[in-house]
Amino acid sequence: MFKNYLKITWRNLMKNKGFTAINIAGLAVGMASAALILFWVQNEVSYDRFHTKADRLYNMYNRSRFDGKLWCWNTTPEPMRKSLKQDYPQVDQATRVTDAGFLFTVGEKHLTMQGNFVDNDFLTMFSFPLIKGDAKAALNVMKNIVLTESTAKRLFGNDDAMGKTIKIDSVDYFTVTGVMKDLPNNTRFKFDYLLPWQYYDKISNKGSESANWGNNDVNTYITLKPGVTEDFFNSRVKNITRSHSDIKDIDVFVHPAKKWRLYSKFEEGKQVGGKIEVITLFSVIAAFILLIACINFMNLSTARSEKRAKEVGIRKVVGAGKSSLIAQFMGESILISLISGAIALLIVQLSLSGFNNLTQKQLFIPYGSPSFWLIFTGFIVFTGLLAGSYPALYLSSFAPVKVLKGTFKAANATFSPRKILVVTQFTFAIVLIISTIIVKEQLDYAQNRETGYAKNKLVYTLMTGEISKNYNLIRNELVISGAAAAVTKTSAPITEGWSDTWDFSWPGKHEGDKIDFNVFNTDGNFTKTMGLKIIDGRDIDITKYPGDSTAIMLNEAAVKVMGLKNPVGQIVLNGNKTKLTVVGVVKDFVLQSPYDPVKQMVIQGPSAWFNVIHFKLNDNLSTAQSLKLAEGVFKKYNPEYPFEPHFVDEAYGKKFQDEQRIGTLASLFAGLTVFISCLGLFGLATYMAQNRIKEIGVRKVLGASVMRVTTMLSKDFLKLVGIAFAISVPISWYLMSQWLQKYSYRVEISVWVFVAAALLTTLISILTVSTQAVKAALANPVKSLRSE
Amino acid sequence: MIKITNLEKFYRTEEVETIALNKLSMHVDTGEFVAIMGPSGCGKSTLLNILGMLDDPDEGSYVFNDIEVAHFNERKRADLRKHNIGFVFQSFNLIDELTVFENVELPLIYTGVSAAERVKRVEEVLDKMQIMHRRNHYPQQLSGGQQQRVAIARAVVNKPKLILADEPTGNLDSSNGNDVMELLTDLNEQGTTIIMVTHSEHDARYSHRIIRLLDGQTVMENIMV
Repeated sequence: MFKNYLKITWRNLMKNKGFTAINIAGLAVGMASAALILFWVQNEVSYDRFHTKADRLYNMYNRSRFDGKLWCWNTTPEPMRKSLKQDYPQVDQATRVTDAGFLFTVGEKHLTMQGNFVDNDFLTMFSFPLIKGDAKAALNVMKNIVLTESTAKRLFGNDDAMGKTIKIDSVDYFTVTGVMKDLPNNTRFKFDYLLPWQYYDKISNKGSESANWGNNDVNTYITLKPGVTEDFFNSRVKNITRSHSDIKDIDVFVHPAKKWRLYSKFEEGKQVGGKIEVITLFSVIAAFILLIACINFMNLSTARSEKRAKEVGIRKVVGAGKSSLIAQFMGESILISLISGAIALLIVQLSLSGFNNLTQKQLFIPYGSPSFWLIFTGFIVFTGLLAGSYPALYLSSFAPVKVLKGTFKAANATFSPRKILVVTQFTFAIVLIISTIIVKEQLDYAQNRETGYAKNKLVYTLMTGEISKNYNLIRNELVISGAAAAVTKTSAPITEGWSDTWDFSWPGKHEGDKIDFNVFNTDGNFTKTMGLKIIDGRDIDITKYPGDSTAIMLNEAAVKVMGLKNPVGQIVLNGNKTKLTVVGVVKDFVLQSPYDPVKQMVIQGPSAWFNVIHFKLNDNLSTAQSLKLAEGVFKKYNPEYPFEPHFVDEAYGKKFQDEQRIGTLASLFAGLTVFISCLGLFGLATYMAQNRIKEIGVRKVLGASVMRVTTMLSKDFLKLVGIAFAISVPISWYLMSQWLQKYSYRVEISVWVFVAAALLTTLISILTVSTQAVKAALANPVKSLRSE
Repeated sequence: MIKITNLEKFYRTEEVETIALNKLSMHVDTGEFVAIMGPSGCGKSTLLNILGMLDDPDEGSYVFNDIEVAHFNERKRADLRKHNIGFVFQSFNLIDELTVFENVELPLIYTGVSAAERVKRVEEVLDKMQIMHRRNHYPQQLSGGQQQRVAIARAVVNKPKLILADEPTGNLDSSNGNDVMELLTDLNEQGTTIIMVTHSEHDARYSHRIIRLLDGQTVMENIMV
């Protein structure tokens, strides 16, 4: 019986090549889109779940109230780890993690690489297996280093890296004591190497500061002993900071590994989702795209039912029961789904590198994994059943008496389930179109926001190696050589906030108010280099005003939040009770998120903490010329390190990556949805044109013009698209207003978005339907009437 | 074999009620060859459909092989049908996508006959119908007469006790038509009961008995000699 079904399915497919192609193309594209999204979702969901101790693995979090809100964050004091290990019997292991960026020298090779400082426990807490070396001991000596496999390869080629020596930052020599398997694509960690914490202690040079519970600057991870619950431990660890310091307003809690990736957004001290929202959204999109592709199949199958009706009748007459017919039609759709699935796999394979690029992932198809094939088979069967269910029930219900008489006309074109399906398809397509337009609008809006400083020709570079020592020489020579118009030394790049504190007090501050300020350090020339506008007072200038080592500038937001009437000349106290004098007020500029209001900020005069040099390139030279000159200067005073300039406008542009990605993905899937929907519409239009050929013949004989017939045929479909539009407007309006809520700096949704979407959809549908309608209208009535 | 009593069938639309069968009673014995005649709309086809259990009556009784089937559900009817009744249609009703062999094989598949047995029986019946040489052709490649022979082959391959033929020669020329009637007569002589609806007095003469219908009622019965 199965062979018989297979045969007739195959012959049916071959006989109606057009419909088959539309069906298979639509399903394949739909399945490929869904599969891509599912691969992505699978990757996201699997983040840091592979650690054998994942169930016991936690990240330490702080919770405290400032700026009137309850905040949660996961940078913690350095001494917390020691206390966790000593004072909390529930804790099994613990490690601190913080970033490291050094210049590695091996022979003639110089490479700047990013790594992490970690405690010795790290390697046995997380499942990052060592290919060589002993995980328990690899990092227990200060001058040991663990490399990832590809880092080892970059440094030592095919030689065995174990036991080899690496010079770090021209100061220290390290011995490779472990080579680690490269990190998988589903972990939050990202490092080329691991260094022991002892070395961090040595170079950070903090002395007693490293025991300070007030500095929240490292990540702390723990594993709890088996059987200890999160709630129980949270109740124990809550007061750890209070008990070690006079800080009385910080609660500490743990965030479990299974929630790191998808559930790490906190509002008012509570975990409120996070990336899971995007995951859910795209899963819904995947489901809908698949559904839309399946709807094509349903529509075309039922539209062609007259052709299949006779077969159904005959089979019933010779003894087929309804269930065996349902099985037959289901089998057909599963076969089509199988063919489509194979094509979809090919599409996924071909588009994966592009998709990876877009999503910043390294996804791949795990051909060797049996569970992949199992799931893939399930996916095909599921698609087949979804697509085939309705046609199977519909077709198998035909009564043989009617269909075999030859008088049978399948329910006519006004058949409503089919219309509902088309409306569903287009509703979804239009929602996606509208959403895409709004995402793009929001992106444009934020990108065009006034940053408040001059990004153009502004360059920064990190102060590596000898730069700090030779800073004055470098600064002078950059200006004298003509490379730069202005130079300033700062604590962080102008596009990033690296430091913040609520430890300021000023005249008129309310007791107990905790207001968090972004903090920036500069040695002078700040406003000139950045192109900032001074509203009041002056820039910090230590050469002109020797007292400026305690000078500060405020931004407008700071003046406002501090409630200062005449800010210039006011005294502000910092955490060490040092008196700082306000010398100037700068116009607000965007430091962090271009979607948020500008946060209050304090710009401090020269102090110890500098990490970055900014310089404005000379306007009279080309960028390339200036950079060449600048490189000469840096090479001269910092010869061992490569010169790595970063353009501020590029760095600023990266702030939009997430939104750009969402925008691109949304437009991609909107495009695909429209494509699949139109494929189905085209199929239906073709079928309708064939089916109404006699009617069209009669109308033409009676005097209808081609135009009139075309309009008549197209109208029915456009009506459906119109209904879909009406449904999708409120849906997309609601969804996009929700989405925009998360940006304080956002566009208003304008009516034009909907008009544009309506025009676009109408145009596409007219193009799709009218070709077939015109063809039918042009057919010679003599021919079509005779053929009946 | 068949006994119907006071059979009634109505067709209703919103405004009109048409009586297709009006308290019709008749019987057919095993081994009989009965022709049903009458003008268009007299209820011939309705009667045949009910006899073939493709349709159910609104009122009355239908006893098939001593079993009351008038109120059987679809599954039961399908089951009874596939083991006992073969159909021959005016328009042949072969499946276009299947070959001659596969069309004839179809009923055997639905009654669960093994593959080897199916080949044997299909070949046997194709041989008997003299279309063995066409076994791998598709219906469109055959003449009308050949198609009807395939249809008959399909109707008899399951060795049904009853064959229902709905104007089997209606789409054929007289020569092919006569061939088909000969085939049916042969089958009848081998013991198969045949009920045939026809417009043709010529064809009706092959039967033992003619039942004439008008407005859903039996108006006359002729016994052929």
